[in-house]
Amino acid sequence: MKLTLEINGRAEEIEILSGAPECRFKLGAEPARDALVEIAEPGVYSVLLDGRSYDVYVEDAPGGGLVVDLNGHHFEIQARDPRAWSRNAAGQGGSAVQSVLSPMPGKIVRVLVAAGDDVVKGQAIIVVEAMKMQNELKAARAGKVLSLTAKEGATVAAGELLATIE
Amino acid sequence: MFRKVLIANRGEIAVRVMRTLREMGIGTVAVYSDPDRTALHVRMADEAAHVGPGPSSESYLRMDRIIEAAKRFGADAIHPGYGFLSENADFAEACEDAGIVFIGPSVAAIRAMGSKTAARKTAMAAGAPVVPGTAEPVGVEGLRAFAREHGFPVLLKAVAGGGGKGMRRVDCEADLESALRDAASEAERAFSSAEVYVEKLIERPRHIEVQILGDRHGNMVHLGERECSIQRRHQKVIEECPSPLVEATPGMREAMGQAAIRAAQAAGYYNAGTVEFLVDQDSRYYFLEMNTRLQVEHPVTELVTGVDLVRLQVEIAAGARLPFTQEQVAWRGSAVECRVYAEDPYNDFLPYPGLITRLRRPSGPGIRLDDGVYRGWVVPMEYDPLLAKLAVWGETRELAIERMLRALGEFDVAGIRTNLGFFRQILEEPQFRAGKLHTGYIEEVFGKRCAPEPPAEYAVVAALVAALHTAAGKSAAVPTAAPAASAWRESGRSERLR
Repeated sequence: MKLTLEINGRAEEIEILSGAPECRFKLGAEPARDALVEIAEPGVYSVLLDGRSYDVYVEDAPGGGLVVDLNGHHFEIQARDPRAWSRNAAGQGGSAVQSVLSPMPGKIVRVLVAAGDDVVKGQAIIVVEAMKMQNELKAARAGKVLSLTAKEGATVAAGELLATIE
Repeated sequence: MFRKVLIANRGEIAVRVMRTLREMGIGTVAVYSDPDRTALHVRMADEAAHVGPGPSSESYLRMDRIIEAAKRFGADAIHPGYGFLSENADFAEACEDAGIVFIGPSVAAIRAMGSKTAARKTAMAAGAPVVPGTAEPVGVEGLRAFAREHGFPVLLKAVAGGGGKGMRRVDCEADLESALRDAASEAERAFSSAEVYVEKLIERPRHIEVQILGDRHGNMVHLGERECSIQRRHQKVIEECPSPLVEATPGMREAMGQAAIRAAQAAGYYNAGTVEFLVDQDSRYYFLEMNTRLQVEHPVTELVTGVDLVRLQVEIAAGARLPFTQEQVAWRGSAVECRVYAEDPYNDFLPYPGLITRLRRPSGPGIRLDDGVYRGWVVPMEYDPLLAKLAVWGETRELAIERMLRALGEFDVAGIRTNLGFFRQILEEPQFRAGKLHTGYIEEVFGKRCAPEPPAEYAVVAALVAALHTAAGKSAAVPTAAPAASAWRESGRSERLR
């Protein structure tokens, strides 16, 4: 089985030659390697690679893909599938539209513009609050507010689209 | 002794206070807001009272509801924890009026030390060194005159302040007016008081504080210092006992300890309190302020001195005498504490509340974990991001740091972001290791923070697991939500912790 993985934004080809627990795999053009892999707990894999022991935590990411944690290091991994919609692909293309995303989970405390407003670079657009800290989201460059999904009092997730500016 | 105590707080500190109360055979009453209905402190308490909706101003800060709950449940005393109502003299007074013991200092002592300017006066009268500054609120003219006399840089501070709100550094005459305006409006928003005073700015200061403890019979001791110089946004993130500087400077602990005792006694203080000092680069120390309550970082003092500060607070409030003298206080080894926050250290330390999908706690030799969270709990967005305090003890500072690194490696929290990984970067940094600390350390050393690069082999292992996991399909290996069986196991574990 062959898969293309996108690991923290970098593409890697991986081929599984034989599956767990006695696993043989090939990463990119590297020679094939062997590893012992067991599921230790739900969501936790124990991997022995060249005799070294790794405890690997796997979780489904809210936006699709996987979050893999290993000794305090985070890996965001997408198994690329051309049929599925990919967030990264959608975000590319270098369009002139600027997306205002929430930098943290929180609550919208103020919306300072309306759709159709002209904004200048650095102008405050929306204020998000969490844990007693307010964060002012500013326009990265001048333009017109195209859409405004943010509503005062609404709860938002990290990375949620709040407004677009043309 | 009290029969039942209400804890007017939430999160890790409510849990920590309850643990001691339970050891003392005293009943516990929790209070909670809507989003905290299933918080750990509510689950652990014997009894619990709802005090309002999410916003603190409508729940944890509602004195009337908290006192009403104490009466309704028959609590003889209230422990305020830290934050919320803990330094509110009106609350302490309302407790007294209701015939409930406030576990803390007297109303008069809270008033004397509550405002920063009043505290400065008290400390100066007691002969404690203070940073040159105006003890009174200033306007533009006063500020200009002060800056001419003492030179720039100066620091503007809110009279009613705390947590860095209303603070502004001013480097030159031209910035004076706008800085004063900004500081005053920020102070107004945060504390409903626009009053601002000015101090000479001490460059690259250390923040070192002294724990004091006094009974209602006139006895008072100090329990040594804590080094709290590692801060972000003027909030402490790593604390140590002893301070590497004080430990290396003969006579400094005793001199600071006595200065702290004099300042506290001048205010007629009793119960636990903390006198904060700024220390300049020539090791001169200046009184900063007094915190008239239990401090967040009290565990490092407990680990090194072997006392239980909460137990002593409760006993003193019930009228007991201090069970030891200054000569009997001994410091052994070194303790370090990391404040684990729900925040993203690689995105300006922005808060990151949400569902905890996975939690593995460190354990083993020398580890103490004070937390208020569990897997499956949603960390609410209404309150402080403090999830847990991880403290360790070691024979030396070096060993304590190594132990902390080991413990951090065992600590795993998923679903939200935390600063766990950032602590490992700090603890491995040579300047920190050398004990050369100051309050701007994080900005200076980690100004452009990036997540550490993982070893190349980690990416290989992660790729392998991701591929196997994807191949097996979600259903086969990893349930997204916690299965019922382990949820039961989790609650069983906290039951045993009682």
